[in-house]
Amino acid sequence: MRIATESAAVGTDTAVTDLPALLLPAYGQTWAMVGIVMIVVIALGGAMGVALFNTDRHGLFPHVRAHSLLSWIANMGRSLPFLVLMAAIIPFTKWVTGTTIGIAAAVVPMILAGIPFFARLVQNALNDLPRENLAVGLVTGGSPVQIISATQIREALPALASAVTLNTISMIEYSAIAGTIGAGGIGYLAVTYGYQRFDMHVMLATIVVLILTVQVVQFLGDRIARALARP
Amino acid sequence: MIEIRDLHKHYDTAEGRIEVLKGIDLKVSAGSITAVVGPSGAGKSTLSHCISLLEKPSSGQILVEGKDLSALTGNALRAERRAIGTIFQNSALLRRMTVAENVALPLRNLGVVHHQMEQRVAELLDRVGLADRGNAYPGQLSGGQRQRVGIARALSLRPRLLLSDESTSGLDPESTAQVLKLLDSLRSDLGLAIILITHEMDVVRHVADQVAQLDQGRIAEYGDLRALVASPDSGTGAKLLPLRPEPLPPGYDYELSVAYRQQHVDPAWITRLAVEHGARVALLGGSVESHHEGTLGRVRLGVAALAPAQAVALLGDWGLTATVLHGSDAGELIEVAV
Repeated sequence: MRIATESAAVGTDTAVTDLPALLLPAYGQTWAMVGIVMIVVIALGGAMGVALFNTDRHGLFPHVRAHSLLSWIANMGRSLPFLVLMAAIIPFTKWVTGTTIGIAAAVVPMILAGIPFFARLVQNALNDLPRENLAVGLVTGGSPVQIISATQIREALPALASAVTLNTISMIEYSAIAGTIGAGGIGYLAVTYGYQRFDMHVMLATIVVLILTVQVVQFLGDRIARALARP
Repeated sequence: MIEIRDLHKHYDTAEGRIEVLKGIDLKVSAGSITAVVGPSGAGKSTLSHCISLLEKPSSGQILVEGKDLSALTGNALRAERRAIGTIFQNSALLRRMTVAENVALPLRNLGVVHHQMEQRVAELLDRVGLADRGNAYPGQLSGGQRQRVGIARALSLRPRLLLSDESTSGLDPESTAQVLKLLDSLRSDLGLAIILITHEMDVVRHVADQVAQLDQGRIAEYGDLRALVASPDSGTGAKLLPLRPEPLPPGYDYELSVAYRQQHVDPAWITRLAVEHGARVALLGGSVESHHEGTLGRVRLGVAALAPAQAVALLGDWGLTATVLHGSDAGELIEVAV
């Protein structure tokens, strides 16, 4: 922030040599947000996806009402644009974190948006598995936990890796949107320097960083998915 | 001994109740193969799901060594499932597990300790002729090899009954032959009771001891394969060994439908009919095949210069069943009881 006060004049671009000092901490904050969010989303969204799949007709515990309810919750979470969701749940965010700005405040709406998204991705990944997998799990004497882990999650791992990749990229995007409510990170930088102060260097730098980040995440995700696939 | 008693299955839908199985009775002894055949929609896959305990019958029993498994639920059901090994269509192997891991799945599910598991898996892979493919993935095997892995998996818990649900559908003839040879050896070496659910009559003719013809949820015909093939009235027999005979040529007195009743019949019976009894014999159609319990055959002859009743009596003495057909030139078959 020291650099920011030195080049306070509106429209003055930050010197290129000063960009790393500005970008690196913000980049760290972005990953901190995305990291925390993804851990929670994989756990809760994954569980929700497994529940969505297994309460459906060809699942382990078919249950029309439970499935409809879960499906309705997932749709609800997916129907609001992230910006609207973020604004709408400010009271909830404040109740949970005690604040409405900063990383803590951004993480709550990101998690709420990420869970139903990831749940649907997991459900789709499981739907793409052969139907007989459930029968195989049952006739080989598997318990529900054994069936879900061996014949569902383990078999769907390549697709699940792709789902995590897609979800991570979405969360990087959401973290940038969360920057508008002062969440910190690359998005905050882009809004405060690039947008409000017409700082072209910062604007371009954030764009380059975001593009490279998404490319690298996608590349790694594809590599992992391919490594998990079997002939 | 596996016994299915008065098995019913119905589904309640918005349009009303659909009865799929309407009282199925089957008995399969150890060391024998019973084929369940029938057109699609006859209830074969519902019956298969009930036998493999994937679906609960609406009523009736599935008795394995006298114990009814159809009523079990929860952990009791999981524990008793080991009595029944299921082989699926297209093998249904888990694609991300190696061949050995697939075979070990039932053992792992029941918590068998590691070194015993390894030993058992090696034994099973050896049994199905894939001892060196344990580390391969299903995607690296041929269809026939995959199905043999499926059989090894089904055998891993030493079941009493092996249920094969269309296990040779979609396999090429060579792979089908491999699978059938394996089932045949499991019947004789391990004394397994095997139920073969299939629509392939070739497969049935090859390995089955008994055949049950399923039609609209009921067993329309049920009996020994040989008896069905030998019975002139059996629709199933006619499907098992189908004939498309030539029409009776002029100069012959009548048409004779002949089936092999006994396991071993003098292969020169047509010659004997002609040489010893002076008949003139025309071969109009026929199919004679080797079966593990002797020859199976159905033959259609045109005969002259021998009285019909005498021909029927002679063939009867030689272990064949003969029926005289009249008026075949008019395209209309009238069977004469002899």
